[in-house]
Amino acid sequence: MLTLATRALELRGFPADEISRHLLLSEDRALPEALRRGRAFLTREADPPRGFGAYVGFQDRRDILDGIDAETPSVLLPASDFEYLSDGDVLRVMPKGKAARAVYRRRSRQNFILTTERCNNFCLMCSQPPKREDDSWLVEDILRLLPLIDRATPEITITGGEPTLLGSDFLRILSACESWLPETAIHILSNGRTFADMEFARGYAAIGHHDVMVGIPLYSDVSHLHDFVVQARGAFDETVRGILNLKSLGQRVEIRVVLHQQTYRRLPQLAQFIARNLRFVDQVALMGLEMTGFTRANLPQLWIDPIDYQNELEQAVDELVAHGVRTSIYNHQLCVLSERLWPFARKSISDWKNEYMPECGGCTKMDQCGGFFSSAHIRYSDHIRPFLAAGSGTPSGTPSRQTAMALAAE
Amino acid sequence: MSRFGALADYAPALETRYQLLPFRFANLDDGRCLVTNLVGEYVLLARADLEDFVHHRLVPSSPVYDDLKAKHFLVDGDHSVAIDLLVLKARTKASRLAHFTGLHMFVTTLRCEHACPYCQVSRQSEDRAAFDMSEATADRALAMVFRSPSPTIKIEFQGGESALNFGLVRYIVERAEDINRHERRDLAFVIATNLAIVTDEMLHYCREHDILVSTSLDGPADLHNKNRPRAGRDSHERAVDGIRRARAIVGRDRVSALMTTTRDSLGRAEEIVDEYLRQGFAGIFLRPLSPYGFAVKTKSYAAYDADAWLDFYFRGLRYILELNRAGYRFIEHYASLVLGKMLTPFDTGYVDLRSPAGIGIGALIYNYDGEVYASDESRMLAEMGDKSFRLGNVHRDTWEDIMTSEALLGPLEASFTGSAPMCSECAFEPYCGADPVFHHATQGDAVGHKPTSAFCRRNMAIFKHLIGLLEEPETRRILLGWI
Amino acid sequence: MSAVLSFPTAVYSVEAVKRAAYRFTDRLSFEISLNGEEIRCSVTALADMTSEDLASVTARVRNEVLDQDLRERIAAETAVVRNVVLAYAFSAAGLQDL
Repeated sequence: MLTLATRALELRGFPADEISRHLLLSEDRALPEALRRGRAFLTREADPPRGFGAYVGFQDRRDILDGIDAETPSVLLPASDFEYLSDGDVLRVMPKGKAARAVYRRRSRQNFILTTERCNNFCLMCSQPPKREDDSWLVEDILRLLPLIDRATPEITITGGEPTLLGSDFLRILSACESWLPETAIHILSNGRTFADMEFARGYAAIGHHDVMVGIPLYSDVSHLHDFVVQARGAFDETVRGILNLKSLGQRVEIRVVLHQQTYRRLPQLAQFIARNLRFVDQVALMGLEMTGFTRANLPQLWIDPIDYQNELEQAVDELVAHGVRTSIYNHQLCVLSERLWPFARKSISDWKNEYMPECGGCTKMDQCGGFFSSAHIRYSDHIRPFLAAGSGTPSGTPSRQTAMALAAE
Repeated sequence: MSRFGALADYAPALETRYQLLPFRFANLDDGRCLVTNLVGEYVLLARADLEDFVHHRLVPSSPVYDDLKAKHFLVDGDHSVAIDLLVLKARTKASRLAHFTGLHMFVTTLRCEHACPYCQVSRQSEDRAAFDMSEATADRALAMVFRSPSPTIKIEFQGGESALNFGLVRYIVERAEDINRHERRDLAFVIATNLAIVTDEMLHYCREHDILVSTSLDGPADLHNKNRPRAGRDSHERAVDGIRRARAIVGRDRVSALMTTTRDSLGRAEEIVDEYLRQGFAGIFLRPLSPYGFAVKTKSYAAYDADAWLDFYFRGLRYILELNRAGYRFIEHYASLVLGKMLTPFDTGYVDLRSPAGIGIGALIYNYDGEVYASDESRMLAEMGDKSFRLGNVHRDTWEDIMTSEALLGPLEASFTGSAPMCSECAFEPYCGADPVFHHATQGDAVGHKPTSAFCRRNMAIFKHLIGLLEEPETRRILLGWI
Repeated sequence: MSAVLSFPTAVYSVEAVKRAAYRFTDRLSFEISLNGEEIRCSVTALADMTSEDLASVTARVRNEVLDQDLRERIAAETAVVRNVVLAYAFSAAGLQDL
């Protein structure tokens, strides 16, 4: 897992009370002079080129920046953690708070823009637990970041908390995305409830973004079961109404379902509900549970070994596919997924989050398989096994982690 | 963890008074009840649960409560989104109505070289050119076709043996394509032909103009030839050869076949399915015998009743499911369209299972002489001397005259299942349709007397059977693949 | 073969009895009349029927009357919603008007 943020940095040349500054990194020694002021040079070798607006170096090679004068802003980052930084990335430096975060990585296939940590749901398995503080300063920060993002970036995900709680500021951000990044697809993660207000939905549609989709979670066909999972009364109705409004305005909607103990039992019925009532959604994403945030606190209520819900998952996928609904499965390892479902499995764990487990050793399908969230080491399936022979459909019979532990204990 | 509420905090309280949403029920043979909502979603209940449900005694912890809530049989709390969804679904089911007439059949000629006992039109010899449609008639009929607002128009050539007047087929295709350059509908053509006299040249024309070929295949050779006699006794051989040639020239996915069930077909369901398999078809439509035309004259219709046919149908369906379980994908088309009505938000385009009936507003037929009928069956009835469903003539009447004629509007309204006796309260009504022509032909009345209606008996048995099949997980998975 | 069924008007409506009877008109003919506080149903088999069979089918007629009564209750309770749903389904109005 990559480290994106740090407080262990050394700063020079920044005003002491400056809240936040975005540094667009460059490794181009031959960058035209006229462009250097607007960039920060990422220094890895001796004798950095002159004329850049700022310099970013590493603490284990600090002497490289000795030649840079004290008034020019420079940052020294902890070496091992930030080796991945490269040309085109954006580092947000917070001089007053003495912190820095990599907010955009050009080479990454998944860039997230966090808009707020406030939320009007409180999901049992929330991977980004909500906070109540006013973090509206993020809005201007994002508006400053957007012009620095490489316009060739294929896709950006807007996330939170609940992004739409920003109201008109959310619309401003989306509009700015369309202005500064006219070739970039936007994926918005939202509970959809704010779109129940048709006025807001119309404002969203009016932006006319060229390629945007809202990913909205729906956890049950039964309203009170959904409300329980998201810990908010009335959430189901607002979410469904939000979906209806968006679709009535021709906007793209994805329905997301996180699979755990509280959602797997009625998964086939939820699939039927979607096929019957929300047939017009653009796609459905069935997702494995992430062991972060609230999930750890609620693990006894949430955990179920994925191998134990394959039946329900197959039935749900059969139902959706039969009705022509585009369906994908995310965050499941191939060895615990029914082979029939492999065509629907997408390799999708963010590249800064994924890992493999000891049980995976020698597996010939690691490339196709998404592996695990790094948080998965807390709890993952007891049935992880490598596929040893090429083309093999059955994982080998190496003992599970549980069995191995039991054996070791004897 | 105190920050999180328990399920009980969100679930409806024990004393919650739920509201009933519109639904109907029917008793199944095993003592259970089937409930269906306005749009045909269903739940199976024990009788006791039904009574509890209606009398507001059902508790939220009951196993059926969640199903009834999710499928919009009840609403609790302030859940007005349930009403929104029901409205959307009802609108979706009815949306085909707005398209109006999509299927337009042209009888290019009554001439035919076969002499099928069940034939629903007059047998005429090959010599009688008086029974061909003229270009003038075709022109006027085409003008009517495009008066329909339907975004999709399917022109189907019928007969007799429609290819015996292939010159007119060409004329109609080209005129229609011409008109469509301006109209821009989704225009499709089908030719219903026994293939016996179809030349390669005709097939090339079909390929060029994307005309689908629909032929007759009643079963293995002996059955097919007995059903469909022609001089030379080679109907089956010619059909099989025609299918091969048509696939080669027009395209393998552009050739379909229909079977007709006769007394001789009963007891041979598996053989008929095997014949379709052998001939490379991906499915079969196991049709009932229609009571029109020569079927009645030659007593083919009286020869068996609905139960004997149902036996035939269920055996065929069972055999087809066995094939599917063994890994061979093969569909029974009638089941497939019923399943579509049961499981999807959409209604079918099949004109014989719609309410309001598909007569006129779903399909129209333009006879060789310019007479316009509400359906193919209406034409067959007319050939037998009963012109009840004759709507007009292209040479004398306007499209408005025809579409607002009492001959059309009367039976449409009378047979509407939403208000017909027994149908209006029937749980299976969302899956069923009105067939005023069938009921008029067999019972003398467009509404029909459903307790004695073969149409009702047949369909209700099929609905119950399919619901039973859907309960078995592996079968459900197969059937889902058919919709 | 014939029989007489009676249904108290305090419990059942004439409509329910008629609808129930209709379903059996393939085998039975009915003569329905009001007799004080009773609905009287004179039932005659259309074809030959043993007395056991007649008893069996009249029992089913009684059950069907119960079912029709239940249907009446459901229809009465859901009539308003049904009309609302159908009205909106066939109107050009948006859902937000609800």
